[in-house]
Amino acid sequence: MGYHPPKPMHITADTMTASRSAIIRQITASPLKINLMELGFLPGKTITLNHAAPMGGPMAFQMDETLLALRKSEAALIEVQLL
Amino acid sequence: MSESTIRSTTRTPKIALIGNPNVGKSTIFNQLTGLNQKIGNYPGVTVDKKTGWMNYEGATYEILDLPGTYSLYPNSEDEIIAHRVLNHIDKEKRPDYVLMVIDSCQLSRGLFLATQLIDLGVQLAIILNMADLAAKKNLEIRSYEIYKSLGVPILSTDARAIKGLEQIKTLIHEKNFSVDSSYLDISEIIPQSLIQPIKEKFDLKNDYRAYQMLRFGPKDRSINPEDRLWIQSLIADQKFDLETAQLEETTLRYRKITSLVESCVVKKEAKKPASKLDKIFLHPVFGYAIFIGILLLIFQTIFTWASVPMDLIDGLFAEISGWVNSILPPGPLTSLISEGIVPGIGGVVIFIPQIALLFGFLAILEDTGYMSRVVFLMDRWMRPFGLHGKSIVPLVSGVACAIPGVMAARNIGNWKEKIITILVTPLMSCSARLPVYIILIGLVVPNENFGFINLQALTLLGLYLLGILGVLVTAFSLKLILKSEEKSFLMVELPTYRTPRWKDVLLTMYNKSRTFVTEAGKVILAISVVLWVLATYGPPSKMEEIRKAGEERLAQAPEDQHELIESEVSSQLLESSFIGIMGRGIEPVIKPLGYDWKIGIALITSFAAREVFVSTIATIYSIGADVEDELTIRQKLNQQINPVTGDKVFNKATAFSLMVFYVFAMQCMSTVAVVYRETKGWKWPLIQTVYMTVLAYVAALVTFNIFS
Repeated sequence: MGYHPPKPMHITADTMTASRSAIIRQITASPLKINLMELGFLPGKTITLNHAAPMGGPMAFQMDETLLALRKSEAALIEVQLL
Repeated sequence: MSESTIRSTTRTPKIALIGNPNVGKSTIFNQLTGLNQKIGNYPGVTVDKKTGWMNYEGATYEILDLPGTYSLYPNSEDEIIAHRVLNHIDKEKRPDYVLMVIDSCQLSRGLFLATQLIDLGVQLAIILNMADLAAKKNLEIRSYEIYKSLGVPILSTDARAIKGLEQIKTLIHEKNFSVDSSYLDISEIIPQSLIQPIKEKFDLKNDYRAYQMLRFGPKDRSINPEDRLWIQSLIADQKFDLETAQLEETTLRYRKITSLVESCVVKKEAKKPASKLDKIFLHPVFGYAIFIGILLLIFQTIFTWASVPMDLIDGLFAEISGWVNSILPPGPLTSLISEGIVPGIGGVVIFIPQIALLFGFLAILEDTGYMSRVVFLMDRWMRPFGLHGKSIVPLVSGVACAIPGVMAARNIGNWKEKIITILVTPLMSCSARLPVYIILIGLVVPNENFGFINLQALTLLGLYLLGILGVLVTAFSLKLILKSEEKSFLMVELPTYRTPRWKDVLLTMYNKSRTFVTEAGKVILAISVVLWVLATYGPPSKMEEIRKAGEERLAQAPEDQHELIESEVSSQLLESSFIGIMGRGIEPVIKPLGYDWKIGIALITSFAAREVFVSTIATIYSIGADVEDELTIRQKLNQQINPVTGDKVFNKATAFSLMVFYVFAMQCMSTVAVVYRETKGWKWPLIQTVYMTVLAYVAALVTFNIFS
């Protein structure tokens, strides 16, 4: 019930900044889509960027009770709306 | 409620243990079976097959520990196993029961696989493990709600604290597994026109199993080629898109599970902040500093701790050799045992301390959850070289010994990244190169300081860095050469930090050592015996002549010269042996590197293991009984004069050329053996040996020409 910007901002998860949270809107079609979904990256889920390795390294997202690490290129497949 | 049936009273019931990675499945397996385990191989893959036996109230149960997987659709070699075991074409070979372990904190991810198992129609029971962690996270799980929805027995346990273990045993003993009607209606995804023909043809009763056959049958080698083609044409005829179906199944399944989880999990705490430990361990600067610190600590410990048992093993096998010589009559057989077989076995056993310790540390890092953090930190730096974040473990292990390093590479899921890692790991300077480096550096580098840096230490550091450079350049070239369709991905869970389970750590150490001894040991022993034969035998007349001449000299010489004469004779015998002949044979090839045929002999014998170089050189230059005394070897080598040029044999150019040769050359049959085991064939170990030797040759040639 927080504040919603007038236009929902759809970005990909790799552009998220530290400690921001976002809701997953959809997963872009790719051979890795199924892997992401099996891990629980599903539309409607909330993810928070907890850590990012330096120089464009992997990113660690908190989702429910788990911390999951993805490469930046993999995070780019997740379309999110910032909270 | 249980529909369980006993197929045969004479057969031991087989129970498969399955679950996502990091759910404590192996702990449950270890607790149930104790030391009563066996590690074998699945045909065609490098995944260990872990089987154990549980004895309970007079009955025996066979327990199969399947590699962790997120779904029945495999993404890696590891995950194929679960699929293969559960969908085996031969019903008799499938497990009778399946025990699914779920992390209580990751309920939906676990239920995803569990409901696939339900749809497959297996006799199932579910364990909700890590109940303590869930409690800590203020999660309340109403397991009765889950039971009502799924219709299979559910147990709550905390395997680390051995809580609920007795219940698991009772559950197995009472065969309290059950089959529920399918969870997801597969006909929503797949038309019956596809399912029915498959069910009829392969005599399957279950829709989901038929779907699995449709999905994987065409690639399953255990099915005959005609049937595989038949499935393929069936799919093609109906223009069915399997990938889309899988996505659809995943979406539908998760949707159903999400609503189930919402109804049965009560979350008392709203938002969880990032772990304090991760703020330090994953810090862009401190994270790396801590990692380097931990590495240094591990190596320090391995070098200090492993050297004690290694010296003991070394001494013990020397004693055994001597004892064999003293109780058996002299002759070729005695010599084969005391100089071929016993040192051969010794050469295998000597690696156990390093392997056990290294895997002990790796198990601790893995078990605490730190290892996946290392993967997270290093992936960015590994990828440009065609390696994966997970490659850091083999590479780092390689500094101690390439053997556990190569063994650790099996955790890498992607084929190409795994092969590259295996191929480059032996280029890291291992501890066996150290004696060679130290002798040669002592010969040609003055023990002086350049500024505040010791020149000898600087040279040693240079050799290690040269090895790392070799790793990076080779890995990068292989990245360009090797082709793979498989997509590389990271996607790892960073599990909650926990204290290690010491019993599991010890079991890992034991199992890894045993695997090495039994699998690689055979090859090492065989090569040792061959090298012994080549070094002991030569053209009989020539060998006999040297022996006779030696005996005559011994008879005439005074007592105090006996030792000198004996070592001279053994040096002459080695020169005339087949290996000596080979050494002369390769002399034209190694001459451009600055080596004579005597060094050639040492190059051949040290293919057994690099440190053998030192003892062979000692024998050839008849340095005498005390090989351990480095100073004697160094002085002797320093006195060797090349008869043709009049220069020292071990001048700066030759010594540096040799050092560089040992940085790159394979020169370790144990590594060859272990690469053979890990890649399931001779192709990769052969390619690796050839390219490393070529690399070593070229680099040594360049070095020799720079310094001379």
